[in-house]
Amino acid sequence: MTEHVLSYMVFFPLAGMLIVLCLPSDRHDLIRWVSAAATVPPLLLGIWLYANFDTTTTGMQFVERAAWIPAFNIEYYVGVDGLSVSMVLLTALLSFLCIFASWNIDKGVKGYFALFLLLDTGMTGVFVALDFVLFYVFWEVMLLPMYFLIGIWGGPRKEYAAIKFFLYTLLGSVLMLVAILALYFYSEPNTFDMTKLMDRSSLFSTEPLGMWPFNVWGWGFQHVVWMALFIGFAIKIPAFPFHTWLPDAHVEAPTAISVILAGILLKMGTYGILRINYPMLPEATADLAFWFLAALGAWNIIYGGLCAMAQTDMKKLVAYSSVSHMGYVMLGMAAFNTQGINGAVLQMFNHGTITAMLFLLVGVIYDRAHHRDIDGFGGLASIMPVYAGFTALAFFASMGLPGLSGFVSEVLVLLGAWPKYHALTIVAALGIVITAGYMLWMMQRVYLGPPNEKYRSLPEINGREIFTLFPLGVIVVIVGVYPRVVLDLLQASLNNINQMVIAHLS
Amino acid sequence: MEIPIHVLVFYLVALVVVGSACIVAFSRNIVHSAFSLLGTFGGVAALYVFLGADFVAAVQVLIYVGGILVLILFAVMLTHRISDIDITNRTVGRIPGLVAGAVFLGILVYAIAGTDWAKAREVAFEPTTAAIGNLFLGEYLLPFQIAAVVLLVALIGAITLSRKEIKE
Amino acid sequence: MDLGNVASLSLFYPEIVLAGTILVLTILDLVVANKRAMAYLGLAGCLVALGATVDLYGTEPTLLFHRMVALDNFSLFFKVVTLAALVGAIWMSIGSGEVRQVHLGEYYIVLLTCGFGMFFMASANNLLMAYLGLELVSLTSYILTGMLPHNRRSAEAALKYLIYGGVASGTMIYGMSWVFGMAGSLDYATINAAMAEGGGNQIALFMAFVFILAGFGYKMAFAPFHMWSPDVYQGAPTPFTGFLSVASNAAGVAILIRFFYPAVSTLGQEGAWAFQALPALQWTDLLVALSIITMTWGNLSALNQRNVKRLLAYSGIAHAGYIMMGLVVLNNDGLNAMLFYVVVYLIMNLGAFLVVMIVANATGREDMDAYRGLAWRGAAFPAVCMMVFLASLTGLPPMAGFIGKLLLVAAIIEGQFYVLAVVAMINTVVSLYYYWRIVKTMFLDEPAPEDGPVAATASAMPLLGALMVLTIVLGVYWAPLLDYTTGSLGFFMP
Repeated sequence: MTEHVLSYMVFFPLAGMLIVLCLPSDRHDLIRWVSAAATVPPLLLGIWLYANFDTTTTGMQFVERAAWIPAFNIEYYVGVDGLSVSMVLLTALLSFLCIFASWNIDKGVKGYFALFLLLDTGMTGVFVALDFVLFYVFWEVMLLPMYFLIGIWGGPRKEYAAIKFFLYTLLGSVLMLVAILALYFYSEPNTFDMTKLMDRSSLFSTEPLGMWPFNVWGWGFQHVVWMALFIGFAIKIPAFPFHTWLPDAHVEAPTAISVILAGILLKMGTYGILRINYPMLPEATADLAFWFLAALGAWNIIYGGLCAMAQTDMKKLVAYSSVSHMGYVMLGMAAFNTQGINGAVLQMFNHGTITAMLFLLVGVIYDRAHHRDIDGFGGLASIMPVYAGFTALAFFASMGLPGLSGFVSEVLVLLGAWPKYHALTIVAALGIVITAGYMLWMMQRVYLGPPNEKYRSLPEINGREIFTLFPLGVIVVIVGVYPRVVLDLLQASLNNINQMVIAHLS
Repeated sequence: MEIPIHVLVFYLVALVVVGSACIVAFSRNIVHSAFSLLGTFGGVAALYVFLGADFVAAVQVLIYVGGILVLILFAVMLTHRISDIDITNRTVGRIPGLVAGAVFLGILVYAIAGTDWAKAREVAFEPTTAAIGNLFLGEYLLPFQIAAVVLLVALIGAITLSRKEIKE
Repeated sequence: MDLGNVASLSLFYPEIVLAGTILVLTILDLVVANKRAMAYLGLAGCLVALGATVDLYGTEPTLLFHRMVALDNFSLFFKVVTLAALVGAIWMSIGSGEVRQVHLGEYYIVLLTCGFGMFFMASANNLLMAYLGLELVSLTSYILTGMLPHNRRSAEAALKYLIYGGVASGTMIYGMSWVFGMAGSLDYATINAAMAEGGGNQIALFMAFVFILAGFGYKMAFAPFHMWSPDVYQGAPTPFTGFLSVASNAAGVAILIRFFYPAVSTLGQEGAWAFQALPALQWTDLLVALSIITMTWGNLSALNQRNVKRLLAYSGIAHAGYIMMGLVVLNNDGLNAMLFYVVVYLIMNLGAFLVVMIVANATGREDMDAYRGLAWRGAAFPAVCMMVFLASLTGLPPMAGFIGKLLLVAAIIEGQFYVLAVVAMINTVVSLYYYWRIVKTMFLDEPAPEDGPVAATASAMPLLGALMVLTIVLGVYWAPLLDYTTGSLGFFMP
């Protein structure tokens, strides 16, 4: 059992999907419970993984490998290190919770849950895959279910949002595919093995390519491949200017899918950069990420924050806040020091939990009032006090209030970034003020003040919804008080990745 | 410079072939086009004679001039109101087409002139019919059979396409 | 080995079985009233021929009938592809409402003859045979395209096809005559020897190759010889369109590879081919340009199509462009990727046309509106299958089409044609948009009140299911197929 733990985590949901497909389509509750049951084993295995993870080594753990396509040296190769294990845990948790957040879906129930479970397999697979082809397959496998989940069960502009998401992401991934193949043929002997490619990173040349315009910019093979990969990941993050799919997709998607999008899919962008760009192309990272990535991050923070401030739709506000918060991740990554990079990944984890809460909370109110207009409410705190309490927790965590998880990661990022980029750090710190601005403003307009008579009879948050929010709230508090529960997992691996790049920093 | 008489005749025949082919293509009157085919077919038969291919030349005259051309003429003449058909497809881009064609022709002529063609040995004028028969049943048996299949399917196709009613 | 006529017969039984089936059908057509029985007989004949072909696979490469055709794994591979396409097409025809209106007996006879011609396109070892095979396929294709009675589109398509086809084969045979003039023979081995000595005038040779490429390219439908394809796809009966889209393409690939590789190039170390005929001219640049133009043109033209058959025609042009990429690199990896893609394309495109046929059977329409809310109109399974085929055509994992594209792009990246690789990838994104318009229409759009339920043609379901499963299975575990295509690169080398 234990030697295949990662495979079980990846393929349990897939097995669940096959079972769901065999169930009669009018047995809605049965389908829901089977789906929930399919996400429990990954969660339990995830907890087991957390307990048994060796936090002292930098190598891959729980490795499994088997030949897949021998002619091309393609393997089924999975494993986790500190970077991926945190993301795997987040995926297992959010997938489990989102099944319950999807309980009130009643159109095409069978299709919804089958696609959701397929999505779950794809997401977990991306974080554990250590073979490039496997990684790419999982990466793309997510797109199909995501398209349908947004396109069939989404809001009014679902078709536009779904195809936009699909086109953007596919554009990124095909560039990534070219880069992967270029790395494959450049490595000697040719390999798709990501760990081997990391070890041999020094082989990839940085001599300027004799191809316009790269020769003008002085870019070598590493730089070009780095940029191709980066664009692929930047679309996913989403870094400015590739972010325009995000507000559409997040707003139109059903609640649970917004949670998955914001909580997990966005993390794949930064995960990819840390997993692939940093260790495999360290010289290009040192040349290109320094300043560029930090500036992009700072710009994301400010731009996303300002856009969020202008929104009247609660979901759109949360969506733009994601753009802003992912900026901290980029800034932290570009700091190239222990605080920065650890803060960045901790921020990935924290943003996953906090944004999940925010989307779930917006979903709760949308289910009751059937609109999300910020100005259309008022005084909800007195109508739904428990709900307002959860909301306050999530808002404060998102603002970075001390004692809650967002604070720790943002402070770490800023501390890490300060020695390298004074100006950008100050700009980024302004982002916290902006966040506080739009969050508190929304709080005031929606939850405080005199209650809106129209919504006097809104029912309080129910048990199922509390069940989805409570674990996330607990994590937010625990990580805020004692961040080492997550940081310990990360440190060894991240410092290792960091060291690879630092050696090339000029 | 003395030009041998057979070279002169060859170019004369070639001129007839190409010239009448041009009339076929460019003439506005379909009856003129059909009649011009006579020059082309006959000239090609003459070219076969130049190659010492007596059987093929005879077959060319028999089938193309005697058979196909007559058939085409019948088809043209029996078609009702053939002369007052509106030509709906106007010729467009005549000048660019002409330029492109001329350039293309130039390249072809240049390429042909510069090529060292594999020339056959001196043509011996002797009957070829028996040799052709032997080759068809020997070395070229398969192409001969496949050509038969092509003809068979062409026949079936022609009948099918021209028979418009559906049988239940 | 180099066998004479009688000795060749013992290695010629797949063709004999197929030819025998055609002749028996021709005679039966006169006496049998039940045309469906003819379809089953044709199907049986194809399956027997398929068994025979598979049985011959691995035989020592041999030249048959006085060096006219080559029997090697390469030709056998394409015969298998052709027969598989024939089986699929006949199966489709049995369930098709459209084909019921045509002259059924003649339809099956001509369809089988078309496949028979493809056998010779794949195995020709002599320009004469290559030409005859191509003409046989062309002629039968014109007939089948025009077979729908009282259908103006069908007649128009057949006429257009005939005219374009005539020009293309005239061009090709003119090029062949130049090659003959330079090499002094139609036999591939002699041509190869002549090329190895330097060939002759570079420009003349280049022109001759371009002419020949035009004739072959016309079968594959690559730009600028693709003009016929949208009209023909739209006008022809759907099962035949499906057959044409995959088999004509495959036969074009076969004849192209056979002529430009074993006939005029030499195999060097580690599967690298030397195209020694044209040392002075940039042959590969021409191929790169053709490939880019073809895929871009096809994809951009497909964007605004409302008729699904027409859309698939343009997508077929784009795929011809993708397949062309394998030619650019001049090595066996590229050829291997082409063969792999041919198989994958056969499976997914035939599947897509099968769904088109099912919808046309139920609604009598082929435009995009007929697909509105298909998944919610009682045809969820065909809709899901269509989604799988379209995802595969786009090149999304875990579908077989992704692997096909992966191998092609891998081959050109290995050859360092990065620009071509990036263009191909961007084309993939463009193609997503139009393929996904169909998916959107099927799943995301609500059926309009006037859209009735779609009854799925029962006889087509097993084939549909099999093609869908194959599309996914080959996308996840493709090693056996890769081994098969690698083994099929055994040419009879002159």
